[in-house]
Order: sequence, then C-alpha cells, then structure tokens
Amino acid sequence: MTEFLAIIAVGIGTYLSRGVFILALASKKISDPVLVALQFVAPAVLSALIVALLIDSDGNVAIGVAEVSAFIVGGAVAYKTRNHILTLIAGMGVFWLVRALI
Amino acid sequence: MSAGRSIVKQGIADAVPLFVPAIPFAFVIGVVIVDSGINPVVGWSSSWIIFGGAAQLTLISLLGSGAAVAAAITAGLVVNARHLMYSAAMAPVFQHQPRWMRWVGPYLLIDQQFALAVLRADDDPKSFRTYYLSSGLVFWSMWQITTVVGIVLGPIVPVSWSLEFAVSILFLGLIVMGIDKYPKLVAALVGAGVTYLSAGLPNRAGLLVGAFVGILVGTIAERLRE
Repeated sequence: MTEFLAIIAVGIGTYLSRGVFILALASKKISDPVLVALQFVAPAVLSALIVALLIDSDGNVAIGVAEVSAFIVGGAVAYKTRNHILTLIAGMGVFWLVRALI
Repeated sequence: MSAGRSIVKQGIADAVPLFVPAIPFAFVIGVVIVDSGINPVVGWSSSWIIFGGAAQLTLISLLGSGAAVAAAITAGLVVNARHLMYSAAMAPVFQHQPRWMRWVGPYLLIDQQFALAVLRADDDPKSFRTYYLSSGLVFWSMWQITTVVGIVLGPIVPVSWSLEFAVSILFLGLIVMGIDKYPKLVAALVGAGVTYLSAGLPNRAGLLVGAFVGILVGTIAERLRE
C-alpha cells in the first residue's frame, strides 16, 4: 500500500512537471537562473543515483573491480555508439566477465 | 480524412524507432519490480501512473533497497523535474488546443514525445493534435506492453546475474549521451562524489545531498563558462 501511494505521489508530481506551464502558466516564462539549473538536474541526479544504488545496508559503497570495469567500458560504448542497448550489453558483459574471473 | 490518416501514419512511423532505446529500460524496470518484492501489479501500475522510465526505475529501485519512502519519492520527483522545460517549451503550442487536449497532452509528454512534438510546433492545431496523439499512444502502449514483458521474464532471470546492476549501466548511458558541455560533466562527477562521501547518511539521504550539490556546482561552472 505504501508503495502504491509512493507511485501515485510521483505520478502526480510527474504530471504536474509536464503540465504546469501548458495548463496554468502559458504566459509565464521560467526564469533564466532556473532554466540554467534545470539542465544539470539529469546528470547530477542520475550520477548520484548510481552511487546511491551501490550503498549497502552498512552505509558503505559496495563498488569493486567488476563495477568499475563495467562503468569504464559501458561509458566508452555509450560515448562512441550513443546506443542504450549496446551500452547495456557491453556494461553487463564486462561486469559478469570480470566477476567470473576474480 | 485521408490527410488525417496520413498524419496518423506519420506519427506512428516516427514513434516506433524512437521507442527502441526505451526497450532495455522497460525490461529492466520489470526485473527490478520483481526483485524489489513489491506486488508486481502495483509495480506495473507505475507504468501508467508515472509513465516515465527514469523516475519509475529510481522510485522502485530505492523502495526495493530499503530507502526511506520520502527519500525515494523525492528522488523520483527530482529525476522528472526536467519535464518542466518541456512543459514551458510546449505551452505556446498548446494554447491553440481545446481544453481536453491541454489536460491529456502533458500525460504523454515523455522525452521522445517532446523530441517529436517540438518539430511539429508550426503545424495547424488539428494536424498537431492528430500527430501528437498518434505518436503518444504508440509510446504509451509499447511502454505498457514491454514493462509487462519485463515483469513476466523477471523471475526467470537468476538472482546471481545481479541484473539490478543494469540500472546503474542504463543511468550511466543516459548521463554520457546527455553530456554536451563540460558543466554537465562537472555536475555528474560532483553529484557522484558528494553522494559517495555522504553514503553514511541514513535512508540513502546522501543521494539528495549529492544531487543538490551537483546541480549547484554545475550551475556555477556554467556561469564561469559564460
């Protein structure tokens, strides 16, 4: 039930972020400083999430050789190909390979 | 009518290839829902209640990993804050649309939909509406179906594969492909670094600290660049 309420909360927030200017503030502009800051939301939050998802229950960041190798190769493939499917295959492939080897 | 039909066809033809990059996200969301222990139907409801891959992955991964609910909700909302830019950019176009369309439109305004719609901003209102709804319904229905496929296939994937790590790889891909100037790289590195340093904070609150400092430093780097 808690999970469902959390989903509804994010759903409402997401709808509002997509709709607020279309529905209510068509004549308003986002102020320039906010517009500048908004560009950095995605890179800052997503990279923070990557680290947060690796934190174990003791509050340590559980990152080893396999994860680091996967990030390097996955990042390089993403940069070169700009293709999510290839990035996923390369990153997970390296992750599994290195984990099997060490 | 035939003109309308050709616009529908165009909307579908443009949307299908753009959906392909979303397929791994849909699949991983399905697997993560199963992993998280959340009721699969409740987890899947995020596909039509939120209808946004990054926010769904964020919310469900964090809930499944034992983060505080408030922190998970906040992170999900922050991830989707970029949609404010789309909303502002599309607002003038939607002023020529009937009221019902101004309510329906935002629900479908995902990244890919924005990318297509912004190219049609100068179409007459009826053509724009037909095109927008055609491409939007393609994205919406394919998203519902592919996330179900992920949920169905999720239990088949052995736990030892650690497929939840795929979330991190997908996010890395989003970051790398989105970096078009160095302040964004700065924001990403600072966001990760500060989250790492504040990993000891309870309920994964370090995530929000890292994100906030990352946005702040990215903004400062942009100012210095100008």
